[in-house]
Formats: sequence, C-alpha cells, structure tokens
Amino acid sequence: MKEDVRLVAGRGRFIDDLARPRMLHAAMLRSPHAHARIAAVDARAALALPGVFAVLTGPEAASLSGPLRPLIPTSPAVPDFCLAVDRARYVGEPVAAVAAVDRATAEDALERIRVDYEPLPAVVDPEAAIGLDSPLLYPELGTNVVWHDTLTYGDVDGVMARADGVLRERFTIQRYASTPLETFGGIAEYDPGTDVFEFWTNDQRPGLTIASLAGALGVPQSRIRLACPDIGGGFGNKRRPAYLVICALLARKAGRPVKWIEDRIENLTALMHACNGVMDVELAYRADGTVLALGVRDIADEGKNLLTPTQHNLIKLGNIANGYRIPAIRYEAWSVLTNKCPSGANRGIGKPFMCFAVERAMALLARRLDLDPAELRLRNLVTAEQMPYTTPPGAQYDSGDYPATLRRALERFDYAGWRAQQARGREDGSRLLGIGIATSVEPAGTNLASYEIITGRRGASGSAEAAMVRVEPDGTVRASIGDPSSGQGYETVIAQIVADELGLSPDAVHVDRGFDSTTTPWLYLSGNYSNKFSVTDVGAVVGAAARVRDKLLRIAAHRLEIDAADLELRDGAAVVKGAPDRRLALAELARTAYADVLGLPPGEEPGLEARHAHQNPLAQPIDADRRVRSQLVFSNAAHCCLVEVDRRTGFVKILKYVVVHDCGREMNPLIVEGMVHGSTVHGIGAALLEEFRYDEAGQLLTSTFMDYLKPTSSDVPDVEVDHLEHPSPFTPLGAKGVGEGGAIPGPAAVANAVEDALAPFGAVIRSLPITPERVWRLMRTAP
Amino acid sequence: MTPTDRPAVRLTVNGQAVERVVEARRSLADFLREDLGLTGTHVGCEHGVCGACTVLVDGRSARSCLYFAAQLEGACVTTIEGLTPTDGPSPLQQAFRACHALQCGFCTPGMIAAATELLAANAMPSRDEIREALAGNLCMCTGYVGIVSAVEMAAARLSPTVAPAPAARAPETAP
Repeated sequence: MKEDVRLVAGRGRFIDDLARPRMLHAAMLRSPHAHARIAAVDARAALALPGVFAVLTGPEAASLSGPLRPLIPTSPAVPDFCLAVDRARYVGEPVAAVAAVDRATAEDALERIRVDYEPLPAVVDPEAAIGLDSPLLYPELGTNVVWHDTLTYGDVDGVMARADGVLRERFTIQRYASTPLETFGGIAEYDPGTDVFEFWTNDQRPGLTIASLAGALGVPQSRIRLACPDIGGGFGNKRRPAYLVICALLARKAGRPVKWIEDRIENLTALMHACNGVMDVELAYRADGTVLALGVRDIADEGKNLLTPTQHNLIKLGNIANGYRIPAIRYEAWSVLTNKCPSGANRGIGKPFMCFAVERAMALLARRLDLDPAELRLRNLVTAEQMPYTTPPGAQYDSGDYPATLRRALERFDYAGWRAQQARGREDGSRLLGIGIATSVEPAGTNLASYEIITGRRGASGSAEAAMVRVEPDGTVRASIGDPSSGQGYETVIAQIVADELGLSPDAVHVDRGFDSTTTPWLYLSGNYSNKFSVTDVGAVVGAAARVRDKLLRIAAHRLEIDAADLELRDGAAVVKGAPDRRLALAELARTAYADVLGLPPGEEPGLEARHAHQNPLAQPIDADRRVRSQLVFSNAAHCCLVEVDRRTGFVKILKYVVVHDCGREMNPLIVEGMVHGSTVHGIGAALLEEFRYDEAGQLLTSTFMDYLKPTSSDVPDVEVDHLEHPSPFTPLGAKGVGEGGAIPGPAAVANAVEDALAPFGAVIRSLPITPERVWRLMRTAP
Repeated sequence: MTPTDRPAVRLTVNGQAVERVVEARRSLADFLREDLGLTGTHVGCEHGVCGACTVLVDGRSARSCLYFAAQLEGACVTTIEGLTPTDGPSPLQQAFRACHALQCGFCTPGMIAAATELLAANAMPSRDEIREALAGNLCMCTGYVGIVSAVEMAAARLSPTVAPAPAARAPETAP
C-alpha cells in the first residue's frame, strides 16, 4: 500500500505526533460516580498551580458554549453540554478540565479541584431502566426510554398462529468496543485576529463534527477549520465533539493552542461502547424448516448517549432478515438510557447482535427439527434468482448468491469430514469438537432518511461523499476526499481509480493524507463510517477524475486539431488512437490550462481541477408503510468455525475458521482480505473475550487491557478466506462493503460452534462472551 | 527522589549519545517522543499491555511506557527510527508491506521491534512461535494473519542457508 511506506518506518503522522507553537496540554477530571448531583465545583486551587493556564468547569462550559446537537432529539429536548453541569450520569463523565504546560502538570492540577457530589441511585440494567420506579437520568423527560415503537411488516400474528411451530428464545449481548489502538484526541487553537477556531483531530466524521462544533461554540462553519492526520484505527469509535469543544474553550481562555489525548482508561471508560442489550426472538416455521415469520423485541442499552440513540435499533431493523426469505417481520424496539458510558458506532453497529440472535435461533431450530444446520440455512437463504430481493422492512439485497456462498464455505471447511471427526470424538469421549455455521449480510452506506422512522420528519437524508482530482501546473496528479482513512488504504485505492481514469500508473497519483476542511471537498455526510467507501466515495472519485479526463481530452483535441473522440489518455499523455507518436503529455496540457491559457479551447475555463459529489441513487425517503433502505448495497458471507472445548478448564480453542464472502468487485484484493481477517477477529474477540462489566452501582470493572481482554496473536487462528464476486449493479465499479465483515457473523459462528461442542451436555448459549468459566458452568448445569 | 526531581541521564539512542535532564516521572516513551522527537514510537495504553510502544533496550524488547527515562543510564535504546535503514526499508519492513501486515499502522513500529528481537533469537520461527512471540503486541486491524506471514517471509529472506519459505501470498511489490 502507498501509505505503508511511511507507516512501516514510523513516519506516519498521528494526532499525538502534531504540535503547535506554545501548545498546552489538557487533562479531564471525571466523575467517580455513576449518578450524582454536582452540588459545587471549586477549581481555584488548580488554577493557582504553577504551569496551569486555564481551568474549565461544567457551569462555565454551559455559559461559554451551547449544547451538543443530537442526531435524534429527545422530546422535550434536554441540553447536553461538553462537561457535566449539575449532574454526572456515568462513571468517567468529564466534570472539569485543565490546560497546563504539560500533561503531568495538568493531571497534578486535577487533584486540586474539589467537587461536591451527592450520589444518586444509578440504573445500569436496561430492563430496569424501563420500569416506572427506575432512577431517571433526565427527570425532565419523565422516562429513560428515548424510543419505543413496534414496526410490523406482514401478518405476523396470523402466520405465527398457523405455523407448525414457533421457536421462542431470549438472547443478550454484552458491551464491547473495537478499541482502536490509537486513542481519540485533538488540538484546538483559537485565532482572535480572525475569530477562527482550528482543530486537528482523529475524528472519523469531520462533516458532522464541524456542524456540532459550530453549533456548540456559536460560530459560523465558515470560521471553523478541521483537519485529520493519519488515524490509528477508528471502527466507528473515534468521534466525540464534546472533547473538542472542551479543548476549544480552554484554548480560547488560555490564549494558546490546547492538545488533549485520551488515555486508555478514559477510552475504555468513557468514549464509546456498542450497546449491550436483550432480544426476545420468535421464529415461526413449517415442519420442513421453512421460516415463515420473525418477531423481535429488542432493548438497546444506550448508556448516556443523547447524541445518537436509536442508531443500533435502526440498523438492526435494516438487517433483521439476515439474508433469509422471511415474509412477515415484526420489530419492537426500545432505546433506553442508563448510567453507563455512552453507546455509539462500533464496527457493525447493532448488526452483530441482530445476526447473533437470528443465527442462534437458526441453530436451535435445526436442533429442534433434527435438521443439519447448513441444510436449514440453504432452504431459507435468498437465492441468486431472487435478486434484487426486498425484505419486508425495505432493505434491498442487490446481488449475490447466498446459498453458493455457504456451499463454498462448507466445501473449503471440509464440513463432512469434520462432522465425521466430531462424531468419532463424541463416541469415544476423547474430544469435544464443535462446528459453528453463521451466514450474514453486510450492508454498505447509510441513508440518513431512515431516522424519519423515529422522528416522523425529514432531517438529513441520503448517502453521499465528495472528492477532488487535480492535475497540478507541472502535470502531476493529486486527489483528495472527504472521508479520512483510518487504515483502509484509501490513498492506494483512490490512486488506482484515478490512475485508471487518467491513463497513469498509480504511483503517479498523490492522494492527500487525511482531511482538511479548507482544502478537501466535503459534505455534512462526509466521513469514515458505515462501509460507505464502495457506495459513495468511489463514485465521487470516478466522477471527479472523469471530469478532469474529459477536460484534458478537450484541451488536447483543440491543440492537436482533432476530434476528442479520437484521443485517449495513456502513459501520462493524450494520444491519438492509432497514431501513438501524436501525443501531448499531461505536463504540456497542464501548462496550457494554467499558464498559456490563450491556448485553451474557446470558452474553456482555465485550470485542471474537478470536484464531484456522488449520491447513491438507492437512498430514498421512507414510504407510507415505514419501509426504507436504511443501508444501500449488501455483501454477504458464510463463516464456518471449528472449536475444541477443554473438559477440565472450559477453555475454547478455535482450531479452524473459514470465511467465504462476496463483496462484489474487489478493487484491491489484498485490502479486502485484510479487512476480512481483521473484522473476523473482532467477532472472535466479542464471542470469547471482550466485555465491559459493570457492577450494580455502575462502576466499570474492566477498564484496562488487563481485564478488558483483546484477542492476541496467540488467541486466534489463521482465518482462511475465499470469495465469490457478484458485482453490485448499483455502485460505480460494482464494489460492495467489506469493512464490517466478520464482525457481524463472527460472534454467532463461534457461539454456534461452542454450543455444538457442548451438545452432549444439552447446553444453550444465550449470552457472550463465552468465557472458560461460563463454559465450565454450562458443562455442569445444563440444561 | 520525588516525581518532579530532575536527574540527568546519559544513554545511547539509535546509535547516538544523548544526555538530558528529565523529570523523574518522565516515561521512556514520552522521553523518546517529546524530548527527542522520535514520534515513531506510539503510545497505546500506558499500562504495559498493548505493546505499541515497544522499543529495544540493549537488544531486548521493552515497553517504553513502563520505563522511566531516568532508569536508562548507560543503556542502548533502539526505536523504529533506528530500525529503518537510511537507504530504504529493511527486509522486515519490506515483508510487512508485501504481506499487508498493517492497516492503520499504529501498532507497526512496536511489532517490528518485537519481531526484530524474535528473529535475532530464532532465525526460522514457525507460525506458532511467531504468534507466541508477538502475543504481547496488540493489533486491532489485521487479525494478525498478515503480520505472522510477514515475519515468516522476512525470516526466509534473512536466512541464506535455508530455502525460502513459500510466501503466504504474492508480494505487492518486488523487493
């Protein structure tokens, strides 16, 4: 990859590598209570410490800035300021901040801030939070429930009543997060001369964040500059405008730039967790295994997330059918506030739990009907002939051959062979082997119009991205995009795309690192999220490059006095087809465009730069029956996992893991394979290791990497990957999403495998992570 | 000594003698990054688990977030900057690139330091031995497959006496 040249040498430029002249360093004081009234904050002693330049308390922040603007407003609206003002609502919520000459001095100063807390009862369980007698995070709302609704598509009750059987089961999922290795951070600088705020940050969604910052700071967007350097992983977690507002207020008070870099405990305690939750699943079926209806009651525990609640719910609704033909679907959603870390985007957002619940239910149904779990799936998966297929809630599976994907996985895995080995192990009691299958769909691109299901009115909508391609005056080529890469190799892929359009080698195309709002084209929708690269970003790059290509050809045609249709771009020049000696190099065409502008065709604008924003046409408003394409094109995958359970310890070892997936046209197979490997390991981590555990008082018990366990190289196998390639008819190059990949079916595949291994004990797995202790107990207490 | 005392320390960093007065509480990671400007060493957890800040101290891998700079009197410290030849990437770095052993690149300097130590001790490690040796370095992006392949490839290239191991996949660029 192009970017690897600097990264392997440690020459990347990450947020903590940047510095500004006279820069100060911030630290934040955080609530030790899950829920407490803040009676008073006294920071005078902190300000008196030598080296301290500014202190910010909650009440001050509320007077100097406005609330952060939510994507989904509550009713009535409740203000959410960058610091807790009169009430702390989770352990780790920032209540004050200090800017000092260095981080250590700033942390010393925190110890001098006195906060009078009056602890309040906390609610940490989302079902308890729904109850009428629950402590309330916002008494003015009168409830902790942000959203509760039931969406019904088809005659679910009738089908359930007439079905041969209905499988009912309850599943839960824990809190976990993708925890990028680089934590969140930013630098804020205020220039009183121009009244401009400048930000450098590893924020993944600069478009949305600029709007948040302008709103909270009360300055027009024209006076905000935001730039992103290299980003050390994102996975959805890297966004918290409140922290940037805190830095900005400190910077303005101190009259100096302020940097804040989150430490790992802050990251694990307070940045962003995937929602934990509870799902009650009802699956109606015919005796032959045909699934007839699906009912889901889903409670998403948002923690103190006032900015983006309901996001997990909506995305689950878009993925609820999980690749199956299910004619009738009901989804009852609860989005609930509790005294825990805010929930937010995390690789897959809600889809891992949705897939877990459906694929666990399918595994249990196969057992109930004594059907092979692969066969049960093959009977229900949407087939290639049925494409494009629209699910009852409105998601459109655009392309692919889901049964063929599963068959390929079974073959690669040697399914029959391992079933035979498993049977032998069970007969002679020598081994507890388990085979888990999970299939999944993986959407790309978010259509923000789907929020209308919740708000009842149109806010932001659609899915789009902007890009720029420019031939510089010396003929070299540069491109830029509003989506800052956080490890997806965009510099490499964008260079490939531009090079193809302009007839160059990818080495000849320079792609700007990161993002800079003053030079990068961008939209409110711009950012690194939702698998959107294939759906919108590629179209933006292709569109911009095509405009530049057409202009190059027009200029060359004029210069050569020939029809543009007789020219092509090749090897860095406009070349006459069939007469390769008649050519004009890009440098020569650029000279005309920028310097010798009298040589341009009549009416042609000087310069050689084009910007293009691509809007994916699949994004449409919701319809009268509340159906919507909340996400746009669908990849699919089948996972086969082989585990062995140690009878004595309950330890689960993954012996073999095969992924067969189809993300359409692969623009860069090496990147695609890396995405599949990495995302699958995220799924394995959620299945076996990772959990943010809270006690009943709302204290986080797993706040370091010693107790919040991530998969290491010795925990996971060599994930084997194979692929099918059914291009999407709805994206410019036929590519589909691949970033979330194995994070979606991974937890289900591993859980199905462990449950299969524990079949002799009659064990049922209803929750994650499947720790050795839980397995040990299942072997002794099941069923 | 109190945390804010300022002892002097003399050590060698990437082959160059360095003498500095530092706060006693200054970690080696902060010393390298902020006092010496060697920002290739990354800080991922500051509690000694993630391995992002791994450097070599007298040839052995060490977590620079757990050392105080003042402890390193007389030591030889090698960072990613010192592991990068001036005339282009090392065979290990080339192999990381060829095997797509990185995505965001934040763990890479620490991985390369840990892999350097491994290859110095074991010229032809198996995949399991590589996985064991790198188990103290977290990578959140790659799922480790490419990293293990890269170390395997580098070992094969660096061991002239042994026939090259089959590459896990075609290299992206010729070495």
